[in-house]
Amino acid sequence: MPQENDQQHYPHRKDKHEARRDFLKQSSAVMALALTPPLVIKAAQHDEAIAGIFEKMPVSMEINGKKVQVSVEPRVTLLDLLREQLQLTGTKKGCDHGQCGACTVHVDGQRINSCLTLAVMQEGKKITTIEGLANGEQLHPVQEAFIKHDGFQCGYCTPGQIMSAVACIREGHAGSPEEIREFMSGNICRCGAYDNIVHAIMDVKQGGKTV
Amino acid sequence: MNQFSYVRPASLKAAVDAVAKDNSARFIAGGTNLLDLMKSGVMIPEKLVDINRLPLKDIQLNGNTLHIGALALNSELAAHELVTTHHPLLSQALLAGASQQLRNMATVGGNMMQRTRCTYFYDTTMPCNKRSPNSGCGAIGGINRMHAIFGASESCIAVHPSDMCVALAALDATVLVTGPKGNRRIPFTDFHRLPGNTPQLDNNLAKGELITAVEIPANAYTKNVYYLKVRDRASYAFALVSVAAALDISNNVIRSARLAMGGVAHKPWRLYEAEKALAGKTPTEENFRAAAAIALQSAKTYQHNQFKTGLSVNSIQTALLKAASV
Amino acid sequence: MKKQQTGQSMDRVDGRLKVTGGAKYFADHHLPDLLYAALVCSPISNGTIKNINTAKALKAPGVADVVSHLNAPPVPGYKNADPNAKDGLKIFKDNRIYSNGQPVAVVLANTLERAVHAASLVEVQYDQETHYTDINASMGKAFQNNRMKDYVRGEADAWKKAAVTLDATYTIPLEVHNPMELAGIIAHWDTPDTLVLYAKTQGVKNVQDTVKRLFQLPEQNITVHSRFVGGGFGMALRVWPMEVATILAARKIRKPVKLVITRDQMFTLVGYRPNAIQKLSLGATNDGKLTGITHEAVAVTSPYEDFTEGIVAMSKFMYACPNVNTRYKLVPLNLSTPVWMRGPGEATGAFALESAIDELSYKLNMDPLQLRILNHADTDPEKDLPFSSKYLKEAYELGAEKIGWTNRKAAPRSMQEDGMLVGYGMSSGTFGAFRGKATVSATLKADGSLILQSAAADIGPGTATAMVQIAADVTGIAPSKIQFMLGESAYPFAPQQGGSSTVSTLGSAVTDACKALQQKLASLAISNVPAFKNATPGTIIFEDGQLLRAGQPEKITYESLLQQQQLPEVNVVATSQSGDERKKYSMYSFSVHFTKVHVHPQTGVVRIKHIVSVADAGTIVNTKTARSQMIGGVVGGIGMALTEEAILDHRFGRFVNNNYADYHVPVNADTPPTDVYFINKKDPYINPMGSKGMGEIALIGFAAAVSNAVYHATGKRVRDLPITPDKVLDEKAALQWKVENKLNT
Repeated sequence: MPQENDQQHYPHRKDKHEARRDFLKQSSAVMALALTPPLVIKAAQHDEAIAGIFEKMPVSMEINGKKVQVSVEPRVTLLDLLREQLQLTGTKKGCDHGQCGACTVHVDGQRINSCLTLAVMQEGKKITTIEGLANGEQLHPVQEAFIKHDGFQCGYCTPGQIMSAVACIREGHAGSPEEIREFMSGNICRCGAYDNIVHAIMDVKQGGKTV
Repeated sequence: MNQFSYVRPASLKAAVDAVAKDNSARFIAGGTNLLDLMKSGVMIPEKLVDINRLPLKDIQLNGNTLHIGALALNSELAAHELVTTHHPLLSQALLAGASQQLRNMATVGGNMMQRTRCTYFYDTTMPCNKRSPNSGCGAIGGINRMHAIFGASESCIAVHPSDMCVALAALDATVLVTGPKGNRRIPFTDFHRLPGNTPQLDNNLAKGELITAVEIPANAYTKNVYYLKVRDRASYAFALVSVAAALDISNNVIRSARLAMGGVAHKPWRLYEAEKALAGKTPTEENFRAAAAIALQSAKTYQHNQFKTGLSVNSIQTALLKAASV
Repeated sequence: MKKQQTGQSMDRVDGRLKVTGGAKYFADHHLPDLLYAALVCSPISNGTIKNINTAKALKAPGVADVVSHLNAPPVPGYKNADPNAKDGLKIFKDNRIYSNGQPVAVVLANTLERAVHAASLVEVQYDQETHYTDINASMGKAFQNNRMKDYVRGEADAWKKAAVTLDATYTIPLEVHNPMELAGIIAHWDTPDTLVLYAKTQGVKNVQDTVKRLFQLPEQNITVHSRFVGGGFGMALRVWPMEVATILAARKIRKPVKLVITRDQMFTLVGYRPNAIQKLSLGATNDGKLTGITHEAVAVTSPYEDFTEGIVAMSKFMYACPNVNTRYKLVPLNLSTPVWMRGPGEATGAFALESAIDELSYKLNMDPLQLRILNHADTDPEKDLPFSSKYLKEAYELGAEKIGWTNRKAAPRSMQEDGMLVGYGMSSGTFGAFRGKATVSATLKADGSLILQSAAADIGPGTATAMVQIAADVTGIAPSKIQFMLGESAYPFAPQQGGSSTVSTLGSAVTDACKALQQKLASLAISNVPAFKNATPGTIIFEDGQLLRAGQPEKITYESLLQQQQLPEVNVVATSQSGDERKKYSMYSFSVHFTKVHVHPQTGVVRIKHIVSVADAGTIVNTKTARSQMIGGVVGGIGMALTEEAILDHRFGRFVNNNYADYHVPVNADTPPTDVYFINKKDPYINPMGSKGMGEIALIGFAAAVSNAVYHATGKRVRDLPITPDKVLDEKAALQWKVENKLNT
């Protein structure tokens, strides 16, 4: 959180990085005068690559039990890292502002909205996404219960619902249908499968299986 | 989002230095509001100083005072035994806010630093004195159903969105701050500001100052408390109005009361006059209603939020009845 | 004989993919050299673009291009368009701005972050003109086009002469579909003339057809993939301008381009349920017989298209009433074009009609359920035809029993429980039971498995699951050996998923394809298998994946037949559509909704405590997914009733709550235990399954069941949705306080 006041902030202000990048691009444009077209492209790509290295930061984390080392711009969210760079597309983007829960993943065992945290902030963290929930071919009990109770329709919010449901049970917030409804309210389902989701979670909770 | 640099200082001092010396730097903790605002283009820091790994997470009793580290998570705090035992009002307020996912990310300090949800603040194409000083207030004369009825100004009628802060205001908490000029303590009710003609300032922190903890003194409000949040949907929504009510009742007499409201002002709004009116009275519906009426005497409404006066009276009364278990 | 699959609660065939994150929605696809698109959208609501300065954006790292009307490739289909045709927004054709949020440019970059940031660097200057976004301030512009003729049966405005009358105005705010999945598209020109699309659509063939028309390409040059769709609710029933813009950008840059729009853009780019003002006037005899219904509606549309829907449709036939007249008008505003949103116009109209019936019941001092039964239409009074099937009275009875209607005290504000005011409300809904034309390809493999393909869509109801069940019953093949494939334009034609007609249309085609397959197998057996040599096709029985001869012991399995003939597979393609039964019968699905609500007397907060919904939707193919569809419609109805309203600041023409935090889609805690019951009786005429369709009736009428219950609980009638606490708040209590304090607010 920002810890001092914002006297004035205007959008569209050029940041330092862009100023430097402008310089790099301009320098390649100057060079281009003396070069044939394919080389111009190469030069521009070269600058791009160098600039890219300066702007990126290394970060290592464990995702679904595997060590992952990536280099990312600091502005890349955990959600966009998972989806666009690691191709873990099970985690969904529904709002990108922490208002729907479709991007819910576990970080060190806690459910969070992956759209509102930066990838670089996850250094050394253990992350579990929907792709890492099942044990090989054996579905997690919550996944099975969602199928049995039809806890979804279109399926888009489902990865987030399931990650949230697993945490909800682990936290001890699945004691009654009312408690489940409250503690699952951070996951919107526009298809309206809520009643079935509650049944699925109650079923797992009452079944006493380890989640 | 714009490109920015990211640092993770190892010490409190280094973190404070990093922000104090760089005008465009911001602390980041949970990030749930800052990143939201950065994505919307409302805040454009050039450097983020990640404080998450600083040792500011402790929740403990120092004598009779509950000490809460600024990086304690909202979910941890809500569930902490010291809180549920000694300050259940705080626990209730925390659980009324956001979702469990967000409470797992949001810190106590960050919750205090939340900026308004006013739509004109968020939409960079609209006028907003808080976001862009002297551009005008979009909400006055615009859509203002969610806006302030207390302490607003010609410049800004936005409200503070926190639930947690409403409880902390009621519980006479103190904010511990460190900064380039050393440490200081700020009474919680003086931490946030009214908009006046500088609505761009949400609070009284100086440049580079960092919240390190919040302290709640021992009190008798362990039993007769209630946090009532009235909202447009049953959960995961900001308050139309909210009321934190705490009563110390002995032999059917109210020894003291604490009352604060959310969703009605630029800061958590303490109802001092109503508190005074309740002291020494019996906990009856009539007395609660009278106190609520006193609380609303300074209210001023706008085109779409006129309902908030009546709703506030009824909500204060309801919260007090619930707190008193009448 | 194996057990009948239709009517079972089979798990979804795509359930495993959906719970493991394996289901790929359009944006989950990655292509080599993919560029990310971000939109620059207009902050003005009417006017023209004066200038676009792309210099800063083009200099930003990773930016490949900025495409706008200044440099977009031509769209051949725009060329001969009639400028007065009102046939939609022609994106990047010229500099005209019709509504706030209209896309002005597409920025392309090699990462998502770079595209999004560069979009903020594009500087656009506008010449602004006066805009109009307030329906109330623009009623003078209301018009009718030739699709919206006034309807009169009997005498117009007969309600005025009745002994008991009700005349009230109801308003529906602008609502936004807001499926969880953000809209967008991936466009890739494989060659200058062949286009591959990954789309979010309720019909791949519709996308193919639209693109074919716009770009004047042969159909086979356009491939549309859309296997999984993250909800639609109507918004994916057409190709939107920003998708065309993406296709144009991809054509210009010659690389694949992916656009995923933002949540706030979902309010301005992909349609909405238009806000509507409706006047409902009823007349009845003293004993409750309806003598006149007049329903007048005004709804919004865009400047460049006339969007019409069935707002006044239900009032024409729902009740037996000799005199009915309706009038429907449009008001063009500086907004994008609306599009059908679940239940579409019928849900808007049903709120007014079913609220008015409830209001009339109090005027008559009559039970609202009894009033409806008394005026039940035994035949369709509009078309003057018998209904193909109608079990509405049974549905009323069943719903009343399950909610405990007899516990309801007649007087408003007469029931309390746990300090809460208690109210019971009910309503009915109806929607046409349609059947379109579809083609299904059926391929039997030598291993005995059956593959069915059709270019249908599934936005969530469980189409493939239901089709597998239908095919299993026709062929006797186990569901585990049947695969139904959809969402590919390469498959045979199927219509869009909309209007509650998928099971009816596609299930009929599946049935016919499976029967054609059986006939082919029978011919094969008669020609080649000695034991079947003298059989006539009619004497061959198909059971459990085998061919049998009536009254004789010979049998052969499908796989043996293919293996014996050394055939790897047998394929048939069948097209199916309705016959002239639609001329003889009026076909509708019906629903009834009952709710029990609690209203907090001090704060006006409404909580629905129990819901019972009953559907008369013909044969239910899958009771599990059908229940899901019903509870889903009900949740949509909860939003319509209590929480949803997209609010405009008319000074700017911009939405002020264009996000999931401020536009309140119901969350889990808003929903109570919901009981769904099906009449589950076959419609004898509509299609081979006897299924009538359910997607719309799940929602239609529901909002009235809530507002009627709120009235019963409080004595306060809310005619403007949504029913937020401020509208229910006890005004007397608030007023009392104001008097006490002599306060003027």
